[in-house]
Amino acid sequence: MALIEVEHLKKYFKVASGMNHAVDDVSFKIEKGHTMGVVGESGCGKSTLGRTIIRLHDATSGIVRLNGEDITYASGKRLRKLREHVSIVFQDPYSSLNPRFSVEETIKEPLEESHRFSRKQLNERTEELMEMVGIEERLRLAYPHEMDGGRRQRVGIARAIALEPEFIVCDEPVSALDVSIQAQVLNLLMDMQDKLGLTYMFVTHDLSVVRHIADEISVMYLGQLVETGPTKEIFKEPRHPYTKALLSAIPSIDILHPMQRVQLMGEITSAINPKPGCRFAPRCLFATEACNQPQQLEEIGTDHFVSCCRLSEI
Amino acid sequence: MAENFLEIKDLVIEYTSDESVVHAVNGVSLSLKKGQTLGLVGETGAGKTTIAKSIMRILPDPPSRFVGGTITVDGTDIMSLHEREMLKIRGNKIAMIFQDPMTALNPLMPVGKQILEVVQLHNDFSYKEAVQHTCNMLEMVGIPAVRSVEYPHQFSGGMKQRIVIAMALACNPELLLADEPTTALDVTVQAQVLEMIKDLQKKLDTSMLLITHDLGVVAETCDEVAVIYAGQIMECGSKEDLFLRTAHPYTLGLFGSLPKLDDDSKRLSPIKGLPPDPTKEIVGCAFAPRCPRADEACRKCSIELTELSPGHLVRCIHSGKEES
Repeated sequence: MALIEVEHLKKYFKVASGMNHAVDDVSFKIEKGHTMGVVGESGCGKSTLGRTIIRLHDATSGIVRLNGEDITYASGKRLRKLREHVSIVFQDPYSSLNPRFSVEETIKEPLEESHRFSRKQLNERTEELMEMVGIEERLRLAYPHEMDGGRRQRVGIARAIALEPEFIVCDEPVSALDVSIQAQVLNLLMDMQDKLGLTYMFVTHDLSVVRHIADEISVMYLGQLVETGPTKEIFKEPRHPYTKALLSAIPSIDILHPMQRVQLMGEITSAINPKPGCRFAPRCLFATEACNQPQQLEEIGTDHFVSCCRLSEI
Repeated sequence: MAENFLEIKDLVIEYTSDESVVHAVNGVSLSLKKGQTLGLVGETGAGKTTIAKSIMRILPDPPSRFVGGTITVDGTDIMSLHEREMLKIRGNKIAMIFQDPMTALNPLMPVGKQILEVVQLHNDFSYKEAVQHTCNMLEMVGIPAVRSVEYPHQFSGGMKQRIVIAMALACNPELLLADEPTTALDVTVQAQVLEMIKDLQKKLDTSMLLITHDLGVVAETCDEVAVIYAGQIMECGSKEDLFLRTAHPYTLGLFGSLPKLDDDSKRLSPIKGLPPDPTKEIVGCAFAPRCPRADEACRKCSIELTELSPGHLVRCIHSGKEES
């Protein structure tokens, strides 16, 4: 059974000029122990999606299930309990840690909140977590400003796994880090997954990172899924025109075989009061009249869905 | 072969504060030929931006201090120029594209006016001609001239970066310093902007120093590459030298840290440890503490750049001896 099931999830925000359809009718599943990569450009709603799933935002409509249990509208004690099962690693290790908390305090906070540990256990568990994520014991009382970005992100990861959650949303966890540090943190996340059997939803705009870490990929455009499927299949043969353009836009370090680029026109617009129909159509090379009709995700292979009415022709 | 348009020799720059001295640039030498692109690659704090800013002579002094070395642009020693002469060169002959388009523009001034300022300062155009030129520049970077009266917040990130580029290119600079011009942009927009810079560079025969941490961007735009670490050049040479005949362990480490699109290996091979503390004097090789090949000799004496093949310089005593 899938650990996370999302069905027709919507999250709208009211803004001055109307309704922002940040997440609009998104459905997918994440199997236990798998990593789902969610990719898209800034403003496509990928962070909102992650935050809505773990209840940092309340959904406008739709259902989110964790282990078959509907958690979309959990509240009170049930929500508190749920918080121990789901967690998040934030993008910016500079602003996601309390500057007045030492490493120890930051990692201890969720443990204390759960009221499950004695003082002795608290200290032991903190030590254990610090060792797991590779933070030296001497930094126990250090404050965030005394550490570099990579270490801060390690503290963020320690805090996220403190209560042994089943599901972690990683919201661009490495995009603020230098490449050499980025690789260290990616490896750490994968080690933790192997050791603790974690399930990740990995939100990022960096496709090469997703290719490396994710089992399945969902590509988002202005609040909607345009394509979702197994990572290998999508990278080998992307079907949606947007996925194609996105993949071909990655600068490649292979100087002998330059890639053929699908150059897109214009930029991502906004999801405020969108028209029905394909939201990518204004930038799409293949758009026709038919694209103004609402689009459906269609299954074109095992667990591989694409939302494009012109799929068979292009 | 053409003369080097930009020539930097043994540049040393420090930042001083009350407690310590930060050795930002430690004897960097670079050269760039007319019409070519040199990629300057390195991590945060390696000294990339400091080099670019010192070419523009816009480093604030104090806290920064120019300790030694020469910077020659088109035969002129930049460092010996009087500020009054520098004003004529800055923005005219040498222009810079800053990293963050959100902060590089004045939020209180229409974008057209910001470009117009540069045009009027450096040319003897009449007002009408200057406005016409401004409109042409905007059109060239793909922004309709009618939008020149709008303010920066009315544009998206990619468009703002294009405006910054239009501003930098407004006086047909002979040397363009691009400091992470696409880092703040999404991939699809990055592809558009890089394509545009390349086109314009070809059209205007501009030399470009491209600062980036993204090796993919280097692969697609540069002719020559220099890898910088702790304020020193670790390896430099042609793009082919760097990508196909990588010699320095740090450069190899950078490549190993990148998730490859066509590789199924489960784990990356990152560089261990962290960049060195820039307030400490470097003894021996700066990279030695993180280097898998380091031995006693690396930590003792300073390592010089040596030529592996013509134009391919490496600062490592182990490369060349053994093939890896």
